[in-house]
Formats: sequence, structure tokens, C-alpha cells
Amino acid sequence: MYDHQNKHNSQPRYTPLKTLEVFKAVNRSFPHTDEINHIHDQGGKVFGWLCTYVPEEILHAAGILPVRITGYDRETDLDDGNAYLYMNNCSFSRSCLQMGLTKEYAFLDGVVGGSTCDGARRLFDLWRQYIGTPFHHVLTVPRKYTENAHSLYLAEVEMFKTHLEDHLEIKITDEELMGSIELYNQTRSLLRELYNHRKKPNPPISGSEVMEVLDACFRMPKESFNHHLKKLLQELDGSQNAYSGRARLMLSGSVLANPDFISSIEQQGGLVVADELCTSTRYWGDMVEVQPGEPPLKALARRYLNNYPCARMFPSEERFRRIIETAREFKVDGVISEIIRYCVPYSHDLPLLTKRLADINIPVLSIDLEYGSSGSGQIATRVQAFLEMIEAKK
Amino acid sequence: MKKAANNKIQSIVRACRIILRMIEADPNTRHSQKMYYRMLLQYYTRLRDARENGQFIAAHTVFFPAEILLAMDIIPMHTETTTWMTSLFTGECGDILAAGARLGMATEICAPHRGMAGAFASGALPRPDVMVWSNMVCDNTAKSGELVMDICGCPGFFIDRPFKDSGLEKTYMAGEIRDMIAFLEDKSGKKMDYDRLSTIVERMDRQIELTRQVNELRKNVPTPFSPLGFLELLTIDYLFPGQPESIEYLETLKAELEEMVKQKKGAIPKERFRLMTLFIPPMYLMSFLEKLSVESGAVSVIEPFFTFWGEGRLDASRPVEAVVEKAYMIPETRMYGPLGESALEAIKKCAREWKVDGAVYYADVGCRHSCATIKLFKDALAEVDVPVLTIDCDVVDQTVTSEEEVRDKMERFFELLEDR
Ligand code: SF4
Ligand code: SF4
Repeated sequence: MYDHQNKHNSQPRYTPLKTLEVFKAVNRSFPHTDEINHIHDQGGKVFGWLCTYVPEEILHAAGILPVRITGYDRETDLDDGNAYLYMNNCSFSRSCLQMGLTKEYAFLDGVVGGSTCDGARRLFDLWRQYIGTPFHHVLTVPRKYTENAHSLYLAEVEMFKTHLEDHLEIKITDEELMGSIELYNQTRSLLRELYNHRKKPNPPISGSEVMEVLDACFRMPKESFNHHLKKLLQELDGSQNAYSGRARLMLSGSVLANPDFISSIEQQGGLVVADELCTSTRYWGDMVEVQPGEPPLKALARRYLNNYPCARMFPSEERFRRIIETAREFKVDGVISEIIRYCVPYSHDLPLLTKRLADINIPVLSIDLEYGSSGSGQIATRVQAFLEMIEAKK
Repeated sequence: MKKAANNKIQSIVRACRIILRMIEADPNTRHSQKMYYRMLLQYYTRLRDARENGQFIAAHTVFFPAEILLAMDIIPMHTETTTWMTSLFTGECGDILAAGARLGMATEICAPHRGMAGAFASGALPRPDVMVWSNMVCDNTAKSGELVMDICGCPGFFIDRPFKDSGLEKTYMAGEIRDMIAFLEDKSGKKMDYDRLSTIVERMDRQIELTRQVNELRKNVPTPFSPLGFLELLTIDYLFPGQPESIEYLETLKAELEEMVKQKKGAIPKERFRLMTLFIPPMYLMSFLEKLSVESGAVSVIEPFFTFWGEGRLDASRPVEAVVEKAYMIPETRMYGPLGESALEAIKKCAREWKVDGAVYYADVGCRHSCATIKLFKDALAEVDVPVLTIDCDVVDQTVTSEEEVRDKMERFFELLEDR
């Protein structure tokens, strides 16, 4: 949490956000939340998905509760994960696998992923072999945005839908898909509103608090999430909270779900106002736009492939362009690149990204960490030095 | 920069010449092995002189379909192989890795790719006219090209090889190859010669067939092929796909092995352990490993992911589609798509048919997608009673493991095999 006593960040007008407690409660109990347990007990289906290239709306339209598979929310021993995935795979996939092997995800009726990176695809290989969730599907995700890539991905999305329909012995209608798209677009609009608050010189919500919201977003039914997010936005509209900091920062890099990590940056006086993570803008960034007369599946496939890109996509310049756009929109002074140890796609992008950001005078602090980490003394020292450097430049 | 680059390629040329001189003087050397070094010499001499000869150079990553380049009379530079040969023959592995680190390449990235970026940045590799690459078989290959383009200031083309092998996915990849041909035509001013491509594909098909026949001969007890000879097969495929020299090499090798089998002669004096090799041994330990193999009577008889080609034939009448087909038959691609039953069945089949006593997994610390298969492979091989030795190492970085460590592990493994 934000340290309101911190000398750089004294927040005299800070009042706790009540609705945030709902999200925090979900995050603390995940994956065994009341809602998941309830749906499961009622004979409803809960599917786990991994990677932002899985069109969640299809699962929702099939009457399924989609939840995102995430690993432990803390740094912990990953003995099983290490034994199965070996030490040199990203700690995110090892952490997820370990939770799967220890039956934390035993309630899942299915898992769906995308062929995004080495860590994810091997996680799926091992999941299929050793965990054996009843339904298993990995979508081929092209790495390009060409017309051919769009046709291939659309075909993949159609195949996924058919596989799901066959497995559940149902038909997913266009109306159901349109309904789910509408619901998910509402989530995206609401999150956009939340992010608009972050653009303010003194945002009423901290970066770590936003992370709580984002985590809950893929762990709750969207219906109830939207309901609570609306309430949170109302709270923020009337809030007197106004965070300040030594520098406005953007977080960029691999998957991150631990709000404490962001807190550790904010405790040093960094004001985290923007992000580019699989759990943030890369998840909710773009709307699904259905053209008149267009099959909803086509709109879904287009959106998911064109979405705020993962580092796996080619050309990487598209990701860099979007990061620069976000950095400017949120008026950031510096970017903290957080890369999960052994995450190859993001590591590879870093030299070029650093160069592109240097061209527009935005410095980058590169931190590599284990998934779940809440930050360390060493990270704090580096953040301190980074903030000092930014302040000296001002 | 040009001079420095030529100097490093020249070091490979020089080393090949020295090796060739040594083995040509040795009456016991396989004729095919001499051919192999002559081919390496030819490849690197051609690369060294390409600039001077006004030729167009395309740098490309591992498993990239170099057939296309050869059909267009473009000089290929296999970046990973050239990097490790440079580092091996100049002894400057540490320097090129350090140059990679200076670019901001984290240790997350495998040493061959860190080294590759470092080698380009320091001018150890010649500046290519274009960079062409694909995502076969890992994230490192997928991500490497753009940095090279940036370092060398050259244009590039990335081929997206889809994950699975449905007809749709193969059609997509064929589209990728066609787009790349158009790109190359544009940048090089050369036209694709489709008849030539067909001829290359036809020979590639023969090359695969011959490799299969060589592997059949390796089933014999004792096995006639040298303990680490498979690396020759691999390099031939990397550097000379569908070239007349490859066919000549493989036919010679096959005839030599047939003769050995006829005479009931093994490649090493006393064959005691038949091994399966999983992933690539450290390049800098090759002569040590050869020596250890002879001393211990251990020989690699099959490599499911390097020499054991997938089923199928290449249709030369549809050369672009055939290049795609090959991309799905390459042994390593078993590790690329969903690693399911078929890949596990393939290694069990190899273990049974080649009468394998034990498998050695060279766990390259930088190679994520391969190390993540260790458990799967161990469990699959346990079903056919084949134990697996895992050796943590790095293909090029000499600081990761030493001769002593490898010897110690290997010897203990051989004791275990002996006790069985
Ligand atoms: S993108 Fe990186 S952190 Fe995410 S699964 Fe892939 S390797 Fe792991
Ligand atoms: S060593 Fe592994 S990670 Fe590196 S290029 Fe080869 S297959 Fe890819």
C-alpha cells in the first residue's frame, strides 16, 4: 500500500476507497473466491485462461466463468514447478504450473491458452500431460498483423469456438456473443475511465490500488466486476484523494499481478500512473468494434490480434509506438521495465525499447524479478537512484 | 568494419584449413569427414569473399529455409553457426558475449543469440545486406532479427511459422515464404529461379532420404558412425540444404557405413553404451567428448530432435509448399508445436529401435523451450527403461561447465548403466 507517511508522498487528504475492499477480498481468496465456489457448486463451468490472446468473450458466451490463471501472489519455493519446467523457464509459468500440480486449480473445467511464447507453450504441454483438466485448447496466434495472419487467427478462433461447442454440446449464438462483447466492452470503458483519473496531475488512486482492481477484473464475473467498478468510479469522482510523487512513472514489461511490488516503488516516492503489462493495458486496452453486418467472431478475432501488443509480436515497433503513445498521454517522466526472470520476449525488446524511449528523453530503469515478488531492498535502492536521476534532470 | 568482419570469418577459414590438413594426413579419417571440412571451408570462403565479389549476403537464423536464398543466388550466413564457429576458432567467446551484454542483452537470452548480437555489433560478423529470420524454434530466434537490423542498419523479413500443422497453417506459411521472396527480389534485384528451387527441393528430399538411410545403418550393433558424427549431419542441413555437395557427402558416408557394417566394425573400438543425445553438447567440449566416448565405449546412436526426420516427402513440383512441408518435418520442429503424444512416441520409438541404453540431455541453461521438456522426456523414456543423464551446460559459454564436471557426471552415469 501507499505509504501516506512517506516524506515524499504525504497524503493528508487520503481516505480509504471502500469499494477497493471488495476487489482486495477477491484477490486474497483467489482462486477459491466465493463467486467461483458458488458457480462451481451450482454445477456451472469455470475455465482458466492464460495469455491476452484468448478471446474470453467466447467462454463467457458459452455460459462459462472465465478466470485468468495466475501464479502465487508472492515469491515462494517452486520446487514442483522447477522439477517439471526446469529452473530456466520464467517464474510465472513455473508458479502457475506449481499451483496446478498442487491442485489449486483442480476445480477448473477447462484451460485455454495461446501459442504465445516458449514459457506459455511449455506450461501448456506440461499442464496437459500432468494436470489433465477435462478441456484443453491452445490457439495458434500468428505473430504478425498481415491480412493472412488475420484470416488464420479468425479460423483459429472459429475452431476454438467449435471445439468448445462440441465439448459442451451447445451452440454459441451470435446474439450471445454480441451480449458478451457488450459486457466486456463495458469493462474496457470503465477501466478507461479509471485510467483517465490517473492522467490527472494528482490522481485520486495509486498504482498499487489500480493493480488490485485489475487483478480482480480477471478473477470475477464481469457482471459483478462492472457493478463494483462503477461504484469505485463514483467514489473516485467524489474523492479528495490526490497523490503526488517525485516523478510520474509507467510500468512496462512481463506479467505482473502483485500490487505490493508497485507499492514498493510508490513508497520511494514514485507515482505510478500508467502501465503496459499483460495484466493491464495489454489486457483491456482496445475495444471490440463490430462493424454493421459483421459476424461478431470476426470482430473479436480482429481485436485480439490487433490489441496492444505483447513483445512476441512482429514488428516490435508497433509495441514501442504504443508505449510511447501511452507515456506521452500519461505524461510520464520515466519508465520502469519489469521483466520476469527468464522471460525472453520482453528481455529481447529491452535494448531497442530503451533506445526508442531515450530518443524522446524518457529514461528507463530495468528491473528483473521473480514472479510474485513484492520488491526487495535492492530494488528500492535502484528506484531511489532512478528517481533522483529524474529529479536532477527536471 | 569490413576488414574486422573479414578477419573473423578468415579465422574460421584458417581453422578449417588446419583441421583439413591434419585429417587429410590421417589415413584413418573417414573420407566423408574430409568432405565435410571441405564443405565448411567452401561455405566460409564464399562468405568471406562475398563482399569483394559484389554478392548479396542474407544473414539468417537457425532452421530458416536457406533453400530460398540458394535458389536466388544469395549468399547465406547462418548466424548461430557462424557465431559459435567464430567464438570457437578465435577464442573470443567472452568478448562477443560481453559485446552482447553492452547492447543490453540480458542473460535471459541464450548465449548463441547474445553472442550473435555481440558479434554483429563488434564487427566480428560481416554486415549482411538483409536479415531474414523465423520463429523456428524458439522465442530467441523469433526476437533476434530486429536487433540485428538495428545494429547493422539493414532491412529484414520475419517468417512466421505457425504453431500447429493444419492445412490452413501451412497455407499461411507458404504465403509468408512468397512474401519473403518478393522482399528478397526487391532488395537484391535478383529474381527467384523457381526451376532452380525445384531442383534444390528435389535434392533436399534425397538428402532427407539419405539421412534416414544413414540412421538405419546406425541401428547396427556395433554402430558404424562416430560418437558425435550427428553434428556433421546437422551442420550439413544447416549450411547446405539441397546442395549437390550434401548428396555427395551423404552418399559417401552411407557407403562407408555399409562397408563397416559388412565388416562388423564399430565406429569405436569397444562399444559398451548406446546413447541417445537430447539437445546440443557444448561446442567447445567436442574433442574432449569424442575422446571420452572412445575411452568409455559410449556412442550416440540416435538424436530424435536432430537427425530423426519426420515422415513425409518433398514434392519438387510445388517447391514453395515443399519448403513449408520441410519446416514441419525438421526433427527439431517436434519441439516446436504442441509437444504431445507424437513427440513422446517418437523418442520412445528411437530408444527401442536404436537399442538405446541411456540418454544424455545437454540442458543448455539459456535454452528455455528445450529444458522444459526434460521431465516429459525422462518420464517417456522411463517407460522404455532408458535412464536420462542431465548435464547443465551452455552450447557456447565456456564459463557454465567444465571438462571435469562433465567427465565426472558421464562416468557416474556409465557406472549406473554398467550396473544395469
Ligand atoms: S511472456 Fe514472459 S513472463 Fe509471460 S509467459 Fe511468456 S516468458 Fe513467461
Ligand atoms: S539455444 Fe535454444 S533458445 Fe537458443 S536459439 Fe537454440 S533453440 Fe533457441
